[in-house]
Order: sequence, then C-alpha cells, then structure tokens
Amino acid sequence: MVAFDISLLLGTYFFIKLPKEKKANSTYWLPFLILGHFVLYQNFGAYTNYNFEFKKAVNAYLGNTENPKFNLWLFNITERQILTVLYLFLIKSWLDPFRKKYINWMISTFVILTLILQISGIELMYSEQPIIFAIGANMILIACGLYFIRLITNEKYLESNPLRLLSFWTTTFLLFNYSLTYIYSVSLLYLYKENPTLGKSLSQIGQGMDIINVAVLVLLICSPFLTKLFDREPLYESSR
Amino acid sequence: MNPADNQIYIIIFSTLFLGGLMSTFIVAMVFIHRQRQAQSRQKMDQMRAEFEKTIRNIENEIHQETLTQVGRELHDNIGQLLSLAKLSLNSSKPEKQTEGREYLNQIIKEVRALSKTLNLDWVESVSLDDFIRQQLEKLQSTGFCETALKSDGAFLKLSKDQKLVLIRVIQECLNNAIKHAQPGRIDIRIAKNNEARRIEIRDDGVGFDPSQASQGSGMSNLTKRMETIGGKFNLTSKLGKATHITLELPF
Repeated sequence: MVAFDISLLLGTYFFIKLPKEKKANSTYWLPFLILGHFVLYQNFGAYTNYNFEFKKAVNAYLGNTENPKFNLWLFNITERQILTVLYLFLIKSWLDPFRKKYINWMISTFVILTLILQISGIELMYSEQPIIFAIGANMILIACGLYFIRLITNEKYLESNPLRLLSFWTTTFLLFNYSLTYIYSVSLLYLYKENPTLGKSLSQIGQGMDIINVAVLVLLICSPFLTKLFDREPLYESSR
Repeated sequence: MNPADNQIYIIIFSTLFLGGLMSTFIVAMVFIHRQRQAQSRQKMDQMRAEFEKTIRNIENEIHQETLTQVGRELHDNIGQLLSLAKLSLNSSKPEKQTEGREYLNQIIKEVRALSKTLNLDWVESVSLDDFIRQQLEKLQSTGFCETALKSDGAFLKLSKDQKLVLIRVIQECLNNAIKHAQPGRIDIRIAKNNEARRIEIRDDGVGFDPSQASQGSGMSNLTKRMETIGGKFNLTSKLGKATHITLELPF
C-alpha cells in the first residue's frame, strides 16, 4: 500500500514537471489517470476495511446482508470494470487507426455486457463476477495480441528495439498479469472456501503484478526524462 | 484422491501453464521481431544499393551524352572554324588576317564553353527550368520544330539526385519525340498544386499505341527512374494523335 502511494507521488511529481504539450498527449496523461485511479481505489479499499459500518451500509444498499465484511463491490467496479476499460484505452493509444476501431468495439461491448449482467442479476455487484472478469481479461489479452501483431508488422516498430519501448513492457506485464491471475480470479470464492492458504498465495501473484504494473505506469509518465533507457514510441506523433 | 484436491491441482497447473504459455509467446514475438527487422534492413539496403546504381548509371549516361555533344561540336563547329581561321591567317591580305584573328577568338570562346559542359558539376549550378530552356532553344535553333516552355518555378528546389534523374528523363523524352514523333511543336509546362509538382511534355507528332509492347525497355526504364525519387511517370498517346507525358513529383 505504501509502495502504491509513493508511486502516485512520484507519478504526480513527474507529470507536473512535463512540458505543457506533453501533458496534453494521451501517451502521458492516460498512464497518470490509470495510476491515480489505481492508487485511490486501493486506499479507498483500505478505508472500507477500516470503516466497517460504511462497508456494511454499502453492502446492505446493494442487497448483500449475508457477507457485510466483503468489499468485492469496490473491487468489481474499480478494478474489474473501470481499470479494464482504462487499460484498453492505453493499449489503443499504441495501435494504428485500423486496429483502434477493434478496441473501440471491445470497450463498447464490454461496457454494455457488464451493465446487462449486473442489472439482470446474473452477476451481482457485491459478489464474485467471474463472467465479467473473463470477458474483460479476454479483451485485454486480445488487445495485447493486437499490439504484438503491430510490433512485428509495422515498419516503424520494426525499426525500433522493442526492449527499449515502454509500450512493449507495459503490454507484456499486462499479459502476464491477466493470464497468471485468470484462474485465481474466476475461482476466487471457491479457493477461499476450499483452500484459503492457496487462495492467499495465488493472490500474492496478483499483488506482485500490481506493483510491477504501477512501476511501469510511473516509468511511462517519466519516460521523457529517461531517454538513455527508453526510446520514444514509434507512433508518438500520431497519438497527439 | 479427494475431488477438491484434484481441482486445486488443476488450478495450480492451469496457472503455471498459462504463465509458461505467455512467456513462450513473448519470447517468440521478440524473436520474430528481430528476424523481420533484419529482413527489413536487408530490403532497405538492397533498395539503397539499387538507387545508388541508378544514379551512377544516370551520371554515366549524362557524361556519355555530353561527350557525344562535345565530339559533335568539335567536329561540326570548332573544326570548321579552325579550318576557316587557317585559311584566313595563311592569306597575305590584312583584312583576311583580321578575320582570322576573329575566328580564333570565337574558337577560344567555344572551347571554353565546351570545357564547362565536361564537368558534371554544371548539374548543381543549373536549375531545371534553365536546363529545359537550353534544350528547347537548341532544338528550336536547328529548325526542327517549334518549342515553348511555361513554368511557375515549381521545381526550383530539388536535391542533386532528383535533378539528375529528372534531367535524364526529360532528355530521353525529348530524344524519343525527335526520333519517332516528327513533331511540329513541343510544349513543356511546369506547374504545381497542393499535392504534387508536374512537368508536362506535349508534342503534336504522329503518336503511337502505348499498349503495343516495344522491343526496348525505354518506357519501363523511365517509370522505374521516376519511382526511385518517389515520383510517377505517365504517358498517353494515340496513333495519329499527340503524345502527352506527365512527370509527377510530390513535395
């Protein structure tokens, strides 16, 4: 938690230091938005664990009286839904206009399906949402695949060294994050019922990947100051 | 075995499997990227080598053309002047002596002008418009046909390679018109619009059927040369009607 807060402070500091025209570029403000969103909901989650009455009231409002200790509602909305959409926007910023429209379709489909599943009661907001997670995770994995296809087919990407591109590292870690936590996320409640020790161990993979993802978001924001380590994105000009 | 244990093992195995799969995928992507990068670099090197070869060929052709012109000038013009000068200077009459000295002055001027053309650096100092004007004036002065040039200065700014290619292509187009078209008039128009600059060469000669395959590779050569500098070559003609050539070069 402290690591996340420090990363937000670092991210804010470097974002403020950026020149005006870079601040207006989605290459920099989108990672900053994602970082801010992530850290804020993590802190809010910690607060709900501290303020049990508030958590109980929200659960009751949503119809969950059996498990007032759960704050899955926060986790579902902020991480499994909003964060998925934000990551899709981030990957979209690295694609060409032709592939961007696929991401647009995926985002629209995801939002519509999420609303339908929640409103119809198939997936309750306060409970495990394996279907919504699976749809979101699959879309992230497909979007990552589109990025890698671009990496090996686009001339500008072929001229660059992928190991010096932050978009490559971000997409790679997103790919690992959503694939390594896939099975754990769809079987969350089952694991905590049957084998909480294993559940906790697998959740640490997710926590480790979160730290790495947050670190990469900070690097994305301060990439203009790290020109010796990382190259500018090949499609930087077109993302203005 | 306990079914719950089975499911736990499946979860662990699936997670490890997915992790392994993703690692293999990433490594494969990086490997494919490196391979394609090498292929792309090889292709670029090939294209660069071809481009340089084309430019060298064009420089050689311009040199050859210049030497042929110089040879012709030496034989037809300067050779005759030298003979006349010799006759005049051999005469005892003072007016013939003066005439002879005037011939010598003319010869010195012509030789100096010829020696300038032997140096290919004239390409750098002359503008495309001036080159076309000189070619048309030479053509018109022989009485072969009428010529006209209209230009808005669209080709004033050119790199040396672009100028070389355009000079050679224009020379070829004019030579072809002279050889095959028997025109009464050749018009050249240079203009630009928002997207590109154009040189249009029109003659009112006998025309030909472009769809008939010719034995020479002239037209495809001209098209390829324009493509090396990012330009286009377009020709329209009909038997018995005029021929219209367009050379297009983007900004």
